[in-house]
Amino acid sequence: MESEPKGTQDQVHRSLADSIREGFEGNTFGDVMVVGGGISGVQASLDLAASGFKVYLVDKAPAIGGHMAQLDKTFPTNDCSI
Amino acid sequence: METVPLAPFQEIVEEVRANGGDAFKYCYQCGLCDTVCPWNRVTALSMRKLIREASFGLSETDEIWRCTSCGKCLQRCPREVQLVDVMVSLRRMATEYGLFPPSVRPVRGVTVGLSEQGNPLGEERETRADWAEGLSVKTFKEGMEILYFPGCYLCYDPRLQKVAAATVNLLHKAGVDFGILGVQENCCGESIRKTGNEPIFKRLARENIKTFVENGVKKILVSSPHCYHTFKNEYPEFMVNFEVVHTSEYMFQLVDEGRLKITKEYGKKVTYHDPCYLGRHNGIFDEPREVLNKVPGLKLQEMAESREDSLCCGMGGGRIWLETPKEERFSILRLKQATDLGAEVLATACPYCISQFEDSRLTLTNSEVIQIKDITEILQEVV
Amino acid sequence: MTLVRKPRYILEDQCTGCTTCVEYCPVVYPDPFNQEISTNKAIHIYFAQAVPLITYIDESCLYLKEKKCGICEDVCENDAIDFNQTAEEVEVKVGAILLAPGFEPFDPKAGNHYGYGEMQNVVTSLDYERLMCATGPYEGEIRRASDKKHPQKIAWIQCVGSRQVNPPGGNSYCSAVCCTYTQKQVILTKDHNPDAECTVFHNDIRSHGKDFERFYQRAEELPGIRFIRSYVSIGKEIPESKNVTIRYATPDEGVKEEEFEMVVLSIGLNPPADAVRLAEELGIELNPHGFCEVNPKNPMETTKPGIFVSGAFQGPIDIPESVFSASGACSQCGELLDYRRGKLSRERIYPPERDVSGEEPRIGIFVCHCGANIGRIVDVPSVVEYAKTLPHVVYAQEQLFSCATNCAKEITDMTKEMGLNRVIIAACSPRTLGPLFQDTVREAGLNQYYLEMTNIREHCSWVHTMEKEDATEKARDLIRMSVARAAHLEPLQEIDLSVNPAALVVGAGVAGMTCALSIANQGHEVHLVERDHDLGGKARSIYQTLEGLDVQAYLRDLVHKVYQNPLIHVYTDATITDADGYVGNFATRVVSERGTTEIRHGATVLAVGADVYEPSEYLYGEDDRVMTLLQLEEQINRGSEKVTDAQGLVMIQCVGCRNEERNYCSRICCSESVKNALALKKINPEMDIYILYRDMRTYGFDEDYYREAADNGVKFIRYEPQDEPVVEAGESEEGRPVLKITTPDYILGKKVEIDADIVALAAALIPSAGSREVSQLFRVPLNPDGFFQEAHVKLRPVEFATDGVYLCGLAHYPKLLRETIEQAYGAASRVLTLLSHDAITASGSICEVDENVCIGCGQCVSTCAYGAVELHKTRQGKKAIVNPVLCKGDGLCTTKCPTRAIQLKHFTDDEIWAQIDAAVETAQIPSKI
Ligand SMILES: Cc1cc2nc3c(=O)[nH]c(=O)nc-3n(C[C@H](O)[C@H](O)[C@H](O)COP(=O)(O)OP(=O)(O)OC[C@H]3O[C@@H](n4cnc5c(N)ncnc54)[C@H](O)[C@@H]3O)c2cc1C
Ligand code: SF4
Ligand code: SF4
Ligand code: SF4
Ligand code: SF4
Repeated sequence: MESEPKGTQDQVHRSLADSIREGFEGNTFGDVMVVGGGISGVQASLDLAASGFKVYLVDKAPAIGGHMAQLDKTFPTNDCSI
Repeated sequence: METVPLAPFQEIVEEVRANGGDAFKYCYQCGLCDTVCPWNRVTALSMRKLIREASFGLSETDEIWRCTSCGKCLQRCPREVQLVDVMVSLRRMATEYGLFPPSVRPVRGVTVGLSEQGNPLGEERETRADWAEGLSVKTFKEGMEILYFPGCYLCYDPRLQKVAAATVNLLHKAGVDFGILGVQENCCGESIRKTGNEPIFKRLARENIKTFVENGVKKILVSSPHCYHTFKNEYPEFMVNFEVVHTSEYMFQLVDEGRLKITKEYGKKVTYHDPCYLGRHNGIFDEPREVLNKVPGLKLQEMAESREDSLCCGMGGGRIWLETPKEERFSILRLKQATDLGAEVLATACPYCISQFEDSRLTLTNSEVIQIKDITEILQEVV
Repeated sequence: MTLVRKPRYILEDQCTGCTTCVEYCPVVYPDPFNQEISTNKAIHIYFAQAVPLITYIDESCLYLKEKKCGICEDVCENDAIDFNQTAEEVEVKVGAILLAPGFEPFDPKAGNHYGYGEMQNVVTSLDYERLMCATGPYEGEIRRASDKKHPQKIAWIQCVGSRQVNPPGGNSYCSAVCCTYTQKQVILTKDHNPDAECTVFHNDIRSHGKDFERFYQRAEELPGIRFIRSYVSIGKEIPESKNVTIRYATPDEGVKEEEFEMVVLSIGLNPPADAVRLAEELGIELNPHGFCEVNPKNPMETTKPGIFVSGAFQGPIDIPESVFSASGACSQCGELLDYRRGKLSRERIYPPERDVSGEEPRIGIFVCHCGANIGRIVDVPSVVEYAKTLPHVVYAQEQLFSCATNCAKEITDMTKEMGLNRVIIAACSPRTLGPLFQDTVREAGLNQYYLEMTNIREHCSWVHTMEKEDATEKARDLIRMSVARAAHLEPLQEIDLSVNPAALVVGAGVAGMTCALSIANQGHEVHLVERDHDLGGKARSIYQTLEGLDVQAYLRDLVHKVYQNPLIHVYTDATITDADGYVGNFATRVVSERGTTEIRHGATVLAVGADVYEPSEYLYGEDDRVMTLLQLEEQINRGSEKVTDAQGLVMIQCVGCRNEERNYCSRICCSESVKNALALKKINPEMDIYILYRDMRTYGFDEDYYREAADNGVKFIRYEPQDEPVVEAGESEEGRPVLKITTPDYILGKKVEIDADIVALAAALIPSAGSREVSQLFRVPLNPDGFFQEAHVKLRPVEFATDGVYLCGLAHYPKLLRETIEQAYGAASRVLTLLSHDAITASGSICEVDENVCIGCGQCVSTCAYGAVELHKTRQGKKAIVNPVLCKGDGLCTTKCPTRAIQLKHFTDDEIWAQIDAAVETAQIPSKI
């Protein structure tokens, strides 16, 4: 069932990505911007960087960490959140 | 625990719903209503349980007559259950079947008075305007600035007639072109409706509306927040809309516009009690305070429970006609809050509140420490 | 995109974070990071472990406001202050945007009914977090504002700002995290003060997450803890004591007013403050609650292509979900931008390694306070002084948070400056921070195996909170032992392993298929193995989600995409007979309709789903009018009249779980019941539907559907496990055969008897039948409930401790479809972090055989759980040999070897003996008589 040559898939995929990218006014540069440096934003940035992307992590506060940094310990394991 | 089969009560549930009590369905039994209901300051009353019983058609207690419709629970219920509507719906059913427990019997007399004389006090219709004698009050005519609608208690109750007098004196001083409808006036019907007597309410309302329309009334000044509430929020059910102002708002306006000039001092400590139907139900909190604050020398102090949190006097929801034992009166708690503050005057803006506080004042060991006054009565002394 | 970079007024390269300037700054104001409980200065570091750990100057600065002051400029020795900085606009070009702006805590001052801000001893839960925290306003001591005393009697009020459609200003949804964080706060409060009395006022405890039920029990069973089912109102503040009274209602005792020394408001989660502006600028839509509008088929997709969302901006979720939704969103960015991968990011480069083999040991010791975690119990300065007296120790110092960027840098710098060749960090467990500190040591040009960590937190301060002196003594002993071991440490080399770029996904439910597709869309081959003949798993019997997604259509589409994708190889009717190999190089044998295949793959994803419990309760299996929710849903969608024409229908919740045998909540069934009730009411509005529940756990936005069901007349009756409903066959008044259900109603104080034509049971989700086998094959653990156990609940929620093996979907824990999809993308993202590399590095701490000593007995071979040791023939006979990539370094074999031929590097006998000798060196060995 996977007899289709690899090239075709690549093209299909490319063109999908292209069409989505058109949403960005033809801007085909650069990589990913992560807005918000809470636990979610930080995890995302780490994953993206680890899988080979350049990441712009922006946060309106002067340091990253978000609300989790304000917590003492976190459930359900009660280890410290920093 | 006793077991009750629910199937036989299904019809009752339907009836509660048909009578406007459908709101019970939202209740998730959080108990918040119980914690704010003033009854639980003096005795035990579980609204949560009453609502629960209604939702299964199992209401059987006399407790449904307790609610004063103060609106505290409505203000806080996180599921926005209209608890008062549920109580009224149950009372409608009780009224329809004539199921009055002994404590509620007085309502029957009230009903008779309302249907025969247009007032709950059993007084004669002909004497309705007697309070105005000697006060040079005109009968309302089309084209006048405003209709003054004092309401039943101000017409007949000797204590409250003083409030009516103070009001017209102030109106005269301010040069307001106003009139009254006297014997043509009927009870507004607000409280009887809360006891579940929908037919009487409708009749009273229709008659009043007819009179207003026939006399070309556009704007109505009321002394009672109960009249205010029903004219403003319930008469529109009959497809009419009158402009309604309460005396506290109107006096503020007159003073503010300079039509009423305050000339004297009032060197007393005053605290203001928000009537449920003026405050919580209709959001009028500031005007009464602002007008008091304009009086030089008057020191206005707030009780712990004020504005949105005001403690009910206990007379709403038709309770004005029922006997409340002394130890169950919220009004006594309220008076204590006022005297604890050191207030010399408890000012308010509702006839029910005034008559209840006057009554309860007499139960105090030292009843002279505090006076009960309508805002107009204070104003009358300083203009 | 144009970003505005706010001026910090600090030269980042020059600031050392010394905070001299902070001491001198004259502006003092309430610190928002500490919830305004303590004060801060105009120039300061955001918080103690902030990254970057340098100061910044905020708007309260006198110089910025009035060009006055400038003291900091004078006192800074590094000339790091620069008042000339201005806001910079930075233009960045990106291919995708990921929104993770989180949430804004609900402000209870809005329509304040709780006295917050008016009564000093009423605080929010976030304030309370700061109070408990070592870096908080009172250094980790819980004190109340009015008299700075430790409160003994504390109340928590749940659902503040949540689950309310009235009064205005609150939110109708459930904030989903506050029940559990409150339990956490209760547990921690008892840690701080064992005599504290804690009361939690609530109206449903929502312990719907993995391990939450046990966590709740743990809190509930502590002495002096009450959970009271009542929402409350604040009575008054007592003028003398500033205590606060709370009014609550119980069915038996009516309304009571009770005094508390402190009241904590468990505030909910609001959308982020500038969500509206963000949405407008990016052209995305918000949902009616003001959170991000997401695609119901894909909760990480916003309404605009290329913009993704993760974390609490999706809606109220906890940290584990924030983490895997982040990973999930990354996978989707990855799908979009695969062609750019690796083009812009840079490798980390370490300085060359210094050869220290000829040197005498020069040991440096860094003792961490971990805020107050260690510092409050262990006398750190005295430990440092002691450490300096130990052999080979040339340097010792204390640090507030060794893991903070500035401290780590300090370690690197001191190592270089003092010429250290062994570094000991006395802090927490090497399991969490070992890799970080290895890095730190490498930065200083040392081999990372010259690092030794002494655990004085988990092994000392945390377990000896009551015995400060003994704990300090123990910390000294532990450090002395570490010093002894450190002297024996040797440099080790790590090896690079190649990575097979293909993935194996086990289980082709929604989780497995979604994960497979996401991996394949990033250019990797995927082998998708399914036990059944068809793909789809549990979703095949689900028709709609609560939000109205047509599950069957969705599933058809998903299956189609899977079959269409040339990179995905599907194996159905498949059994896995053998699984071998290690991260990057697995080999798995599959017997399927294709015959036997040996699959080679670099990563494994376990998505084997869950099963539905087959009830033995409530006449199930005896009476065909009793069915499970899943069967009910099936019948509704088949249009079965038996169901749709029913006059009465009763659903019973929590069947088969939340009990001793299965001590967890199946999470989805409360929402499922509400969903089916709504569907039935739509078809037959007259139907009398009752839901008998223990706690309604319609967390998050599903709370709205709970109210909608109530609006549609569905009745909810709570029961307790000791008074379960009773179901019996019987007759209605009119003689119709019915099921009679008798159940208590605590508010009525009576039992009610309901006539029903159908009884639907919310049967538990239980671990999939094959999960134990799968866990053994892939050598990954199950939790006590039989679900797969991830490596770390919060930090690594979609992977196993075994490298290269990941999990998602119901196999992890019961969850809703949207959550499954999210987690599946999350797992895909983590898989990609592995597969996108050509090689990975294996630890140097592995076993090694000294062939001269080995007698070839094979004990080690049979002991090793990873099959890492084999016997091979040599001229001297059979000898053991270790496959370095398979060896996990657990050292089990070394305990079996009769001749000590096999040694675990980094934990050699010499090293361990030295440590043990040091342990007993000064201890009093009782002389035997
Ligand atoms: C009192 C309390 C206790 C809790 N305890 C626990 C617990 O014990 N365990 C648990 O699992 N969960 C707990 N939670 C929930 C937990 O805090 C959240 O799940 C988690 O922090 C959400 O992470 P996030 O990254 O999505 O959001 P956030 O932590 O809110 O981070 C968002 C970040 O984005 C930034 N940002 C916002 N808007 C913009 C913008 N326009 N541009 C740039 N940056 C922006 C913010 O400054 C912030 O740094 C608790 C919550 C509360 C309120
Ligand atoms: S406050 Fe509302 S929801 Fe709560 S018990 Fe009372 S009526 Fe029910
Ligand atoms: S309206 Fe007032 S008196 Fe009536 S139940 Fe509500 S709180 Fe009680
Ligand atoms: S029920 Fe929901 S809103 Fe209420 S405290 Fe629990 S998690 Fe928060
Ligand atoms: S029915 Fe399900 S979701 Fe609801 S509480 Fe019980 S186990 Fe949890």
